[in-house]
Amino acid sequence: MTIRRTLVANRGEIAVRVIRAAHALGIETVQVVSAADRDSLAARLADRTVVIGPPASKQSYLDARLIVHAAKATGCDALHPGYGFLSERAELANLCDEQGIIFVGPRADAIGSLGDKLRAREIAHAAGVPLVPGTGQIAAVSAAHRAADEIGYPVLMKAAAGGGGRGMFVARDADAITASFDKASTEAREAFGDGTLYMERYVENARHVEVQVVGDGRGRVVHFGERDCSVQRRYQKVIEEAPCAAMADGLRADLHAAAIKLLASMKYLNAGTVEFLYDVNRQAVYFIEVNTRIQVEHPVSEQVTGFDLVQTQFRVAAGEAALPRQDQIKVARHAIECRINAEDAARNFMPSPGRITRWRPPAGAGIRVDSHCQDGYLVPPFYDSMIAKLIVTAADRPSAVERLRRALAEFEIDGLTTNLPLLRYIAAEPDFMANRIHTRWLEQSVLPAFQQS
Amino acid sequence: MSQPTAADIESLIELFNRSPWDEMHLKTDGFEIFLSNDAAASKPGAVVPSAVPATVPAPVGRASSGAAPQSAAGAPEVSIPAGMVAVRAPNLGTFYRAPKPGAPPYVEIGQQITAETEVCLIEVMKLFTPVRAGVAGTVRQLCASDGQMVEFEQVLVIVEPFA
Repeated sequence: MTIRRTLVANRGEIAVRVIRAAHALGIETVQVVSAADRDSLAARLADRTVVIGPPASKQSYLDARLIVHAAKATGCDALHPGYGFLSERAELANLCDEQGIIFVGPRADAIGSLGDKLRAREIAHAAGVPLVPGTGQIAAVSAAHRAADEIGYPVLMKAAAGGGGRGMFVARDADAITASFDKASTEAREAFGDGTLYMERYVENARHVEVQVVGDGRGRVVHFGERDCSVQRRYQKVIEEAPCAAMADGLRADLHAAAIKLLASMKYLNAGTVEFLYDVNRQAVYFIEVNTRIQVEHPVSEQVTGFDLVQTQFRVAAGEAALPRQDQIKVARHAIECRINAEDAARNFMPSPGRITRWRPPAGAGIRVDSHCQDGYLVPPFYDSMIAKLIVTAADRPSAVERLRRALAEFEIDGLTTNLPLLRYIAAEPDFMANRIHTRWLEQSVLPAFQQS
Repeated sequence: MSQPTAADIESLIELFNRSPWDEMHLKTDGFEIFLSNDAAASKPGAVVPSAVPATVPAPVGRASSGAAPQSAAGAPEVSIPAGMVAVRAPNLGTFYRAPKPGAPPYVEIGQQITAETEVCLIEVMKLFTPVRAGVAGTVRQLCASDGQMVEFEQVLVIVEPFA
């Protein structure tokens, strides 16, 4: 089984990334675009581009039937979903199966079971992977009170069907649960069509660490090291690094082993990320969830291991014996990624779409910019506000931070408001340089000072 | 608009093509564009208003203008003769002229239709959606062939509206 031509079912920088990986492997590309992306970089780089619908995602990038129809009609034998949009919908993988198209991602049943957070916790538990002390689904306030007494306050209530902070709240006592439970359930129902909540212990000094894995679908799973994504705002990652320099080697080995155990138990296919909460005070890691897609921050793992993960995705999807042995994957050096967003920190991070009048990304040794933007590019208002990823690589974390500061200073974007000033501010923070950060550090310590400056 | 991009110029040409105008002249700092339906016109004001409308206006657009930039994406744009209206695809799909194989086509060239008349089918993964004309008039051109993949906003049928 080989892949001759792939459909690229995404937009923006990841579409460009996928096209380049495909072309490097000699795979032809068909890019589907909405009317707003007719003249995008991806549309120009692809061998063929078809306009599938109007700008609204629902009628273009989120319409699985439309996209699979386009794949069939243009003779594609594979489909790469990128991240976001339909990448974690079992429906798309199923439609591809029905039509004889290779879905460049996990099998539909894995997407379905791991996408259900409660089911994923059960799978992790069965595989012996440590979980944050928590519960199954909780139907009412009274049950939540009883569970919190057992786990110990503070507790975190989360939506079973989704992430991104929707339906999520922290409660430090029983009254806080009473006050927020119904609202969170409604929010979850509106966002994900399912109002089910569950509860976890709330870890005060936490880091977000995650393990990049790829499986061959036959039980062999290898990891490409871990990433530390603790610089977050409203559960959205802002800066990601590899490796997690704050973690001791013994715990790191346990972390990798847990991720592999979890996904090997289900003969996982293709790329995935196992996310953990790193409880710094207790020196423990707890499973959070599995993302069944290539992630935004995959480049930092590529930079420190030297492997091209998107090419690896195509290879394992084609059924090649493409996976390196674990001992061939070595983490050397340190990489840091910043997400450059078209948003205005002064106006509560409102997206600020518009035309880029001047685009001058940094360059040089150890600097990588993954972007779909150029001079004159119009950032459309219909989609995610991320316009670029800046990835720096150096021998160790201190020199990577230094390189990051210089690269951010060199980056010039005119015509719209971006988060570059905030990223420069973060990179110059003593706590960031000394790696004294946690998942609430940005919101609690940095943003108030930044907004005053 | 200090430095118009290829896309800007293309949008202007599309705007002009869809308009009932005979010519368009736009001048800003360091940029000037002149579009005309009169093949003889070479500068603004060259089109002399005439009581008799041109029978076959010279099409302006991607097909005829070598200088017009190609869009990165999309099916080749069909030029719409002045005074005519295009019925376009609501999304990507497979174009069918008839409700089912062997059945007579929805419309034929020269047929008079209302805005409610169904002119073709667009199929997406076995889901068939009829496309209505949206304009009353006479069918002048069929721009897609049976079973062909058409893209979003691709011209399917050209209708001459009733006067």
